[in-house]
Amino acid sequence: MSGTIRYLSPEWRNEVERLLKAELSPEKMNNISSSMSNIYRNCPDGTERFFHVKFENGAVSAVLVGNGAPPAAEFIITGDYEVFARISRAELGAQKALMTGKLKLKGNMVKALKLASVVDRLNKVIAKIQAEY
Amino acid sequence: MTRKLDPNNPYYIDFPKRISEIQAAMAKEKIDVYLGSRLRTLSWTLDAFCPWRSFVVIPAEGMPTAFTFVIDAARVADDTWVDEEHVRGFAPMGGQDQIEQIADFIRENIRGGKGRVGIESGMSNYLPEGWLTHYEFEQYRDALAGSELVNAHTIVDRLALIKDAGTINRFREASRIVDEGHKAVRAAIDNGGWKGMTETEIAGIAALAMRRAGSEWEWSFTGGNEIACGYRTGLAGGACTPATRKKLAPGEPLMVDIHAMFMLGLGDHSHNYFTGSATDRQLWHAENFLKIVRATLKAYRAGITPSTLADEMMALAEEGGFSDFMVPGFEHGIGMMGDEWRIGLNDGPFPYWTNPDHVYRENEVLICAMQYACPEENVGFRYENPIVIGTAGCDEMSKYPLGIEVIS
Repeated sequence: MSGTIRYLSPEWRNEVERLLKAELSPEKMNNISSSMSNIYRNCPDGTERFFHVKFENGAVSAVLVGNGAPPAAEFIITGDYEVFARISRAELGAQKALMTGKLKLKGNMVKALKLASVVDRLNKVIAKIQAEY
Repeated sequence: MTRKLDPNNPYYIDFPKRISEIQAAMAKEKIDVYLGSRLRTLSWTLDAFCPWRSFVVIPAEGMPTAFTFVIDAARVADDTWVDEEHVRGFAPMGGQDQIEQIADFIRENIRGGKGRVGIESGMSNYLPEGWLTHYEFEQYRDALAGSELVNAHTIVDRLALIKDAGTINRFREASRIVDEGHKAVRAAIDNGGWKGMTETEIAGIAALAMRRAGSEWEWSFTGGNEIACGYRTGLAGGACTPATRKKLAPGEPLMVDIHAMFMLGLGDHSHNYFTGSATDRQLWHAENFLKIVRATLKAYRAGITPSTLADEMMALAEEGGFSDFMVPGFEHGIGMMGDEWRIGLNDGPFPYWTNPDHVYRENEVLICAMQYACPEENVGFRYENPIVIGTAGCDEMSKYPLGIEVIS
């Protein structure tokens, strides 16, 4: 993809969905059923935005972006837009962002640990999108 | 290994009932959420051993939720009766540290996000008690701005005082296991086997036998199995002897104080020996000690108090001419793992120490504990045995025969 897609735009969402479905089989996602909402604070336009992804038996069943409160999810990750952007540009690891308090995770930590590797796979796929921030 | 036991199992404890009773007491004291942090509270509510810093949050209604260090959370979830959803791990990550995660959880469990939060604050001479630290208190107070943190540990202390059948049966099994440890030690030191042995080796022999018999660990924070020989048995006022590399020697006393745990029920029994031989004077000391142990076991019953028992026993010791060697205490408290030392409630003249006027009630469990020490002669003995208080006497849980043997 050329770098013309705006981060968190409807086009970016479509590309995320396409890539996840193409590159992450249910087996690669360990057949998990879970959901995650990222809450982006301090977006460039001053709003609060969200990215929501849901898996059922390992298959992507929902990819959403939008403004305001996100849909309910098993895990909610909150942080500044710029922190998520740095993770998406592979300038910062998600684990390090959590360990340094730049991101906040809400949800069962024991389950989160079980899902850490599949979330890494998901982040690597999303990072392939050349987006404008 | 889960402890979701069938109600017909002898070790079954009705944990949902315990939680309901705590919630009823919370309602009476207008407490919206109970934040337990003591090891004894965790054992008593979760039925799981929580060796890392842990908390249990009990809402006004419904299930409790355990919070522990994430490295042990899955194991606690596997052991406890509460479901996986109600065991959380905390870790040094944004939103996942114990203060923020638990404070968030508490807010979600109080209508309007503010209310009265029961905490556990106090002091103890038992190191791993688990009171909320000053730092933790400040952090929770700030994180729960608008809520009031009130000391509420008496709720659990009161409910845990009288033991149910499942708890008593767990203690009985732990005592049976301890007796297996004593048998193994006796067999190992007999016929000169003691020669060249060290205190630590005896501790290990007992530990192996008790583990083989099903003990989970030598639970006491005093070094596991407490073994002393020679002068160490007679340390003045001493009742704590972590095993050392000291070798057993002929003509010396040997104190074997061993501990087993079964489903958080605790075994704790001491037996005493002389290795090789004993002088008439040493045997006189031994007979004194056996006399007062027998008298004490006979005296324990519902209705007496620690002070009345101590008065009676010290009078007996004075009459027998050995009161100088007796430590004037005849008990220490016990409950599920983490509940050690104080008898009864925190209602005595010295805060957080045993109330000498505590009136024993039926089905209280305590350790009948006595220490005899003559430092000048390098001789001493210890007796410990978990007992169940009855209306007409007490039931000794360890059945290992009382005696002070001279081992050849």
